[in-house]
Amino acid sequence: MSDLAISIRNVQKRYAEHTAVRDLSLSVPRGSVYGLLGPNGAGKTTTIRMILNIIIPDSGTIMLLGQPHLNPGVTDRIGYLPEERGLYKKMQVRRVLKFLAELKGVDGKVAEQRIDGWLERFDLKTAEKNWGLSKIDELSRGMQQKVQFIATLLHDPDLVILDEPFSGLDPINAQALKDTIVHLKELGKTVIFSTHLMDNAERLCDSVCIIAKGEKVLDGPVAQVKAEHGSRVVALSVNSESRDAISPILADRALVSRADDQNRFYEIELADGADAQALLRRVVDTGASIQRFELVQPSLHQIFLEKVGATGVEEGMSGQG
Amino acid sequence: MAKVDFRKVGVVFRREYLERVRSKWFLIGTLLGPVFFGAVTVLPAYISMKSRPGSELTNVAILDATGSGLGKRVSAALHKNYPATPAPEVKVVEPPRQLASEDSLVNAVVRKELTGFIVLDSNTMANKFVRYAGRNASSLSDVQTLMSSVRQQVLAQRLEGEGLNPERIAALTGDKLDTKTEKIGNSGREKGGGLGNVAFGYLVAFLLYMMIALYGQNILRGVMEEKTTRVAEVVVSSVTPDTLLAGKILGVGLVAITQVVSWVGLTILMMLQLAPMLFGDKGAQQVGASAAASRGLPTEAITSALPTPGVALTILAFFVLGFIFYSSLFAAVGAMVSSQEDVQQASMPVMLMLISSVVFMGPIVTNPGSTISRVMSLIPFSAPIIMPLRMALVPLPWWEVAASVGGVVIAAIGATWVSARIYRVGLLMYGKRPSFAELARWVKYAG
Repeated sequence: MSDLAISIRNVQKRYAEHTAVRDLSLSVPRGSVYGLLGPNGAGKTTTIRMILNIIIPDSGTIMLLGQPHLNPGVTDRIGYLPEERGLYKKMQVRRVLKFLAELKGVDGKVAEQRIDGWLERFDLKTAEKNWGLSKIDELSRGMQQKVQFIATLLHDPDLVILDEPFSGLDPINAQALKDTIVHLKELGKTVIFSTHLMDNAERLCDSVCIIAKGEKVLDGPVAQVKAEHGSRVVALSVNSESRDAISPILADRALVSRADDQNRFYEIELADGADAQALLRRVVDTGASIQRFELVQPSLHQIFLEKVGATGVEEGMSGQG
Repeated sequence: MAKVDFRKVGVVFRREYLERVRSKWFLIGTLLGPVFFGAVTVLPAYISMKSRPGSELTNVAILDATGSGLGKRVSAALHKNYPATPAPEVKVVEPPRQLASEDSLVNAVVRKELTGFIVLDSNTMANKFVRYAGRNASSLSDVQTLMSSVRQQVLAQRLEGEGLNPERIAALTGDKLDTKTEKIGNSGREKGGGLGNVAFGYLVAFLLYMMIALYGQNILRGVMEEKTTRVAEVVVSSVTPDTLLAGKILGVGLVAITQVVSWVGLTILMMLQLAPMLFGDKGAQQVGASAAASRGLPTEAITSALPTPGVALTILAFFVLGFIFYSSLFAAVGAMVSSQEDVQQASMPVMLMLISSVVFMGPIVTNPGSTISRVMSLIPFSAPIIMPLRMALVPLPWWEVAASVGGVVIAAIGATWVSARIYRVGLLMYGKRPSFAELARWVKYAG
């Protein structure tokens, strides 16, 4: 079991009106980057809060780094970035960071020493200005996010949990965050993050778990998930004059179960028993000018829509990106 | 489940304490406190010492319609008591002219030439009453001072009428009597007089109330800040809410104690430094005396009313317990609300408990042994304020104090238990304020 950073077994959390998480089990391998995917309201945040012992599950067990998550000291080894971010507004940056590190059991002096390095790395301490001596509310929003991120990592956690880390980040900071996640993995840390942006998950994650309405839809290594849903998807692109000609083919449910217009190409999911070659012949027969015809692995987004759509999540609840 | 990690309680405690003590508001409050206390004690003494005995009080006219020379006697007596100012003018009139003379004196008072006037007439001689009219007619102490002179002279004149030697009369009636009080407790005579104890009791009860109200609401705001800035979620991912709550209450409680201790220290320092500056070195010692005397308190009554170590410890215990009780409730309120608008309403029940204790302070001071006093000093929510007040006023059997402390201990444990559960759930709940039914569910399911 100790090769798992997180092991959740049959966890359930019910509120007065609804069940937030139902019989959830998942395993996060050590040293991996793990994506927790799902539409808003799927139970991602509830799951994360249960892992961190902020919420107590009604039933089920949670093991962290090989021991029960209630063991004293276990949460000291976790770094957590909540979705809703905030810090003590009137407190000095350095003091906030030291306080949060001490809460994780880091000695105050050790924390002091580390803070400088982190502030420099994030350009919060330069030759002109040391923002570490400013109060939180004197910092710009972007700088506050950096401080919060430092607070997540200052105690050198083995397991880093990020709830919707990409929301509200500009492209530059989003790229910096991706780089940091990769760097953490290189250091042997385990990173788990939740997102409804499939694009980020697809690029970053070793493994994923998709949940919807509090239940697991699928999980596993990304490659495996794709393979299980693979070779049934075709990327087709024709010149714009031919688009009308092929639309009856795309509507043929014997051949095509779903066609997703991606503007520059169609992402086509073949119907059960249908053959990609048959589709190609039909398109050639229309005389359309084919620019691209490729058997592709489905994107996570595609899989997500297929699986979550099947469980009845309302349209438009999943972001795209 | 290890719920409270004492090392982390220490980390939270240190933040709560240091961030508050470092703030400029704490500094301002600490510096202004003694100025305020000084203003209400030293200033009246200073003013009365510099200005009072003179012009204003004795700038009166005496309207004598008795035809017996009583007016002259009163004027001379007042002049003897306040030699710095001229003797009050005496107007002797025939009884039929009395009303007209009064009118002209009223005009003089209106024009501010006089502070007021004393009317001596047949009623005075018949030992019925003497009248005083003036701008300071509602000042009890002023009227008392004037009238005691009149009374003395009426008595002297009558004795003279009975044929006594005037010098003998002056010798017999001239002495003023001071009052000294002594308290008798269970073990017999005790140090300290009644009046000093009342002042001390009031001071302690008022300070307890003020500190609990101020810093209880300070905790409420702190909890609400953590909740609305969402920093609470980061913190409770590292420590349990119980640890956070414990550190918070202890830290803010120590801030309150720090504040009171620095107030007392600064006030003493100020008294010592300021007195020589205002009154000159030899006057310094009188200040304490006149500060006390300005409220009719002998100095030694105040110093001797200072508590024994045992009483001081009991008062501290009441503060600590009362603070834990109220601040945990305030913390629960802070966790319940998500906006400033809700605070007023949601904290009302807690404030009512606190205020109701203070409302009864008056009746309890006048009658510390009454049933209501006993009940209020045993009810847990009023005991932390009322019991120290009663302890200062009257000797109490030890078991009554012990029962009161015990009650507050149980109430404090109960309040922290319920509040910790509301706190745990409320801290991460946003949106509308919960109803009582929802609160009950939070308490039940908080685990």
